This record gives sequence, C-alpha cells and structure tokens, in this order.
Amino acid sequence: MSHIIEFDQVWKIFGAGESETIALQNVDLTVETGEFVSIIGPSGCGKSTLLRLIADLLPPSKGDIRVNGKTPRQARLDRDYGMVFQAPTLYEWRTVLKNVELPLEVMRSAREDKRGRAVKMLDLVGLSDFQNHYPRQLSGGMQQRVSIARALVFEPTLILMDEPFGALDEFTRERLNLELLDIWAETHKTVIFVTHSISEAVFLSSRVVVMTPRPGKIARIIDIDLSYPRNFETRESDRFFELVTEVRETLKEEFTRGEIDD
Amino acid sequence: MRDASLVARIPTQWLRWGVALLLIALALFLWEGSKTFFNLPDYKLPHLAQIGEAFVRPTPQGPVWRVLLQDTLYTGLEAFLGFVLGGISGFLLAALFVHWKPAERGLMPYVVASQAVPIIALAPMIVVGVGRLGAPPWLSKAIIATYLTFFPVTINATRGLKSVDRDALWLMHSYAATRQQIFRKLRVPASLPYLFTALKISATASVIGAIIGELPVGSKRGIGVQIVVGSQYNTFNPGFLWATIIMAALLGMLFYGVVALVERRALHWKQE
Ligand SMILES: Nc1ncnc2c1ncn2[C@@H]1O[C@H](COP(=O)(O)OP(=O)(O)OP(=O)(O)O)[C@@H](O)[C@H]1O
Ligand SMILES: [Mg+2]
Repeated sequence: MSHIIEFDQVWKIFGAGESETIALQNVDLTVETGEFVSIIGPSGCGKSTLLRLIADLLPPSKGDIRVNGKTPRQARLDRDYGMVFQAPTLYEWRTVLKNVELPLEVMRSAREDKRGRAVKMLDLVGLSDFQNHYPRQLSGGMQQRVSIARALVFEPTLILMDEPFGALDEFTRERLNLELLDIWAETHKTVIFVTHSISEAVFLSSRVVVMTPRPGKIARIIDIDLSYPRNFETRESDRFFELVTEVRETLKEEFTRGEIDD
Repeated sequence: MRDASLVARIPTQWLRWGVALLLIALALFLWEGSKTFFNLPDYKLPHLAQIGEAFVRPTPQGPVWRVLLQDTLYTGLEAFLGFVLGGISGFLLAALFVHWKPAERGLMPYVVASQAVPIIALAPMIVVGVGRLGAPPWLSKAIIATYLTFFPVTINATRGLKSVDRDALWLMHSYAATRQQIFRKLRVPASLPYLFTALKISATASVIGAIIGELPVGSKRGIGVQIVVGSQYNTFNPGFLWATIIMAALLGMLFYGVVALVERRALHWKQE
C-alpha cells in the first residue's frame, strides 16, 4: 500500500494581522490508497479548507502536501480526484444529464460513450427519470445527488466529498451510504469524506479524523474496526455504538477544552 | 365564487388583449380630450384623423405610408448593422477586460468618456468624416448606431462574465479546464442574462443612433430624414411629423421585440 495523501505539518492561515484566521494548525495526516477516511469536527474548524488544500484550490501557508506522490497541483492537472462540493454547484443552464457529462466534455475523454456513462451514474444515484430536467426543477437533495454522479463519472482514483449527504433525509442518506460503500468496494477508490454526522462517519469509514474547534487541529484519529461489507446489522452492533460513543466523547472533550482555552 | 370562476374561465390571452385594447382606447381618448381641453392648435397636436390622413396621402412615389415604410426599412438596416457590430465589439471588449485586468483599468475611462460626449455633437462629424472617405452613406449611420450599442454591452457583459461564483469556477479548476473551456462552458453561459439585458437597451439605442446619423443636412434616405422634413413642414401638414414618429417608434419596438423573443428562447432554463 502506498500513501495517496500526505500532510506534513501543514498550516493554513487566512488574512493577516487583526483579521488573521488560523484555519488549520500543524496538520499531519497520512492516508493509504484504498482507505475510506471521514473528517468530522464542529462548524468552522477547517474541514472544507483541508479538502481544498488536497484539491489544490487553495495553497497551504506552511508545510508540505503530497497527493498520489505528487504536488497537489500536478495531481489536479492529472485529474486524480473528483470533488463533491458542500453546495451542489450545478450549472443551471445545463440539464441534469449535461451537468453529469460536463467533466467528460472538459477532459475530452477518449471514452466514446459519454452519454452512456452519464446515464449509468444517474441511475446509480436514482435520478434516471430526471435526465432532462434543469437544476432549478430539482430539490436540494436531488441536486446534491447529481453532483455526486458528476464527481464519479470520470472514475477518479480519489474522491473528495464535502458533506455530500448533509441536505438529505435519513432514509435517502442511509441508502446512499450503502451505494457509496458499494462503489468504493468495487472500484478500490480512496474516499475523503467530510461530515457532521457521527454515525455516518463511523458507518462508512475505515478511519475517522476528529478535528478540534478553531484553530483546526487533528484531535485524534480513530480506527473503525468494523468489518466490511457493512449493512443494516452493522448499525445495530454493539461495537458500532461503542465507536460512535468514542467519537462523540472525543468531540465533546475537544469542544469543552476549546471553550476553556478562550 | 361564481364570479371568480367566470373570470378564471376567460383565457388569459383574451384578457391580455382586452387590457391592451382598453389602454389604447384610453390613450386615444386622452389625446383628443387634451387637444380640446387645452385648445391646442394642430401644429402642436394634430387630430388623430390628421395623422391617419397623412399616412394615406398620395405622392409621386406612391402613398405616404409606403414611402415611410421604405425609409424605415433603410434605417432599420443601418441600425441592424450597427447593432450587430456594436454587440460583437462590445462583447469582445468585455472578454478582453475579464481576461486582462490592465486593459479594463486602462480603457474603461475612455469607454465611459465616449458615452459622456453628446452624440448629437459627434454625429455630424462622423457623417462628414466618413463621407469624405468615399464610404457609402449608410456606413456613417451604422457607425453611430454601433457607437451607442457597444457601451451597454461592454458594461453588462463584463459584469456577466465575472458573475460566476467561486465554487463553479473551482469545479472547472478541479477538472484542470483550460481558460478557453472556462470561458466557453462557464463564463459565457453565466453572462447571458446580463448580456440580454444590455442587448434590449442596445436594440432601441441602435435605432436612435441610426436616426441621429440621418439628421444632418445632406442625408437623403431614412426615417430620420423624414422626421426632419416633417418638422420643417409641420405647420402645413401637421399629421406627417407624427406619422414619421410612429414609424420610428415601431422600428424600435420591433428591434426590442426580436431581442426579447431570442432571449426567451436562449434563457428558457431560467423561466418560471
Ligand atoms: N477564503 C477564506 N478567507 C478567510 N477565511 C476563511 C476562508 N475560507 C475559510 N475561512 C475560515 O477558515 C475557517 C475554516 O473554514 P472551513 O470552511 O474550512 O470550515 P468547515 O469546517 O468546513 O465548516 P463547516 O462545517 O461549517 O462547513 C473558518 O473560520 C472560516 O472563517
Ligand atoms: Mg465546510
């Protein structure tokens, strides 16, 4: 196994002087190829920022980042990752199908069957009947599912997901969690998954990264030793509850410590 | 309840036409009413019948309405040429501004200044200058129309091309898209609502521009020439000036209507 992501003492500081915000403080993190890693932490602790650094959408202020053994920039140019943003970010002038085809269009992929690929991905997220709708005609949750289909359609090795299921109801969320695990198992992708939901993080991940409130540091990395494939029974197992409690306790500890520090 | 259902059963199309007809009737009534009430002489405000009569009066070249129609079409061609040239140059300028900041900072003051100069003062110079070069007479009019058209397009298109939000742009970066792809697949479509707002302003402005170009002495064709003639002979034939004004207004409305129609088609994803 090789390291697909390496953070070596990475800092991200926004602004300067009075308005300085330390978003990430001295982050060390290594992710192995094929892992499913969730990042959890209170709002504003730097989760999105962390993903954006991996994606080379923002540069780090200090420290070194490697993605697939390359600089983040090179990894981006090589189209190594697919990103699901916190907001659906669909192009409103394109139909659902056209939105999913967008990455294939931009990458001028040699793949003959753009349409076929896009249709298959829409099928996967349960939106086959909405191919010719425009984004404004979809609910928030449906829009987010389109954006997931769009991130998967060009089969990147690394998938970065920023609270992709945040806008969904519990049932759809659990169904998509299972779908996501299927895709992950089938395609041997690496997934970095930001979430607010403790149970979701535990259910999906091989490891959960718990972050502290601002300035964002890694408080603890918790191994999730539940066996794959996971299913509804997993959620009802004792070990599942133990791990959920462990993550919750860690979050709570860090939260109160943060308040005392202030 | 019964009344409501009755009104609901009238097709909306009919309602719209009904309201339009009512408004026209009201306008006609106000026109004739104020003429009587304020006792306005014909050269200030002719009777509606006089305007109608001016339209059908015979001339050696046929009835007046046909002559006016030909002049209006001529002006329409000049304006259309100016509209197209102004639209293209305005958009290209905006594209330049968006991709190269120094251009915007350096050129924008001149673009603004160009519009601060009264076009009435500038028009005769353009007409004479272009005429001296031996260019056909319609060219100088089209140039003035261009001059009035490009400005709203430049301003709005620049804004529109910049109106993409951060995540939409980041999405393109995450695909390692080229500048050209970002422009074509993101910036241009995002700018369309802004662009059409500008084009609707420009549609009527281009007609005004062409007409202004026809006003200086020496022009021979176009509805602007007829407006000049109409104001000179207003005391003898008070209906004629208004006939020319109506034709000019119809031309402007036609331009606007066509742009609005294209807009509806192009921006159907935005409707409802
Ligand atoms: N472009 C920016 N300029 C200045 N400050 C920023 C910028 N982006 C993020 N920040 C700051 O960095 C911190 C972390 O932001 P980030 O968006 O990464 O949080 P998050 O953990 O994703 O929160 P949430 O769960 O609410 O999405 C916040 O305090 C935010 O104010
Ligand atoms: Mg976030």
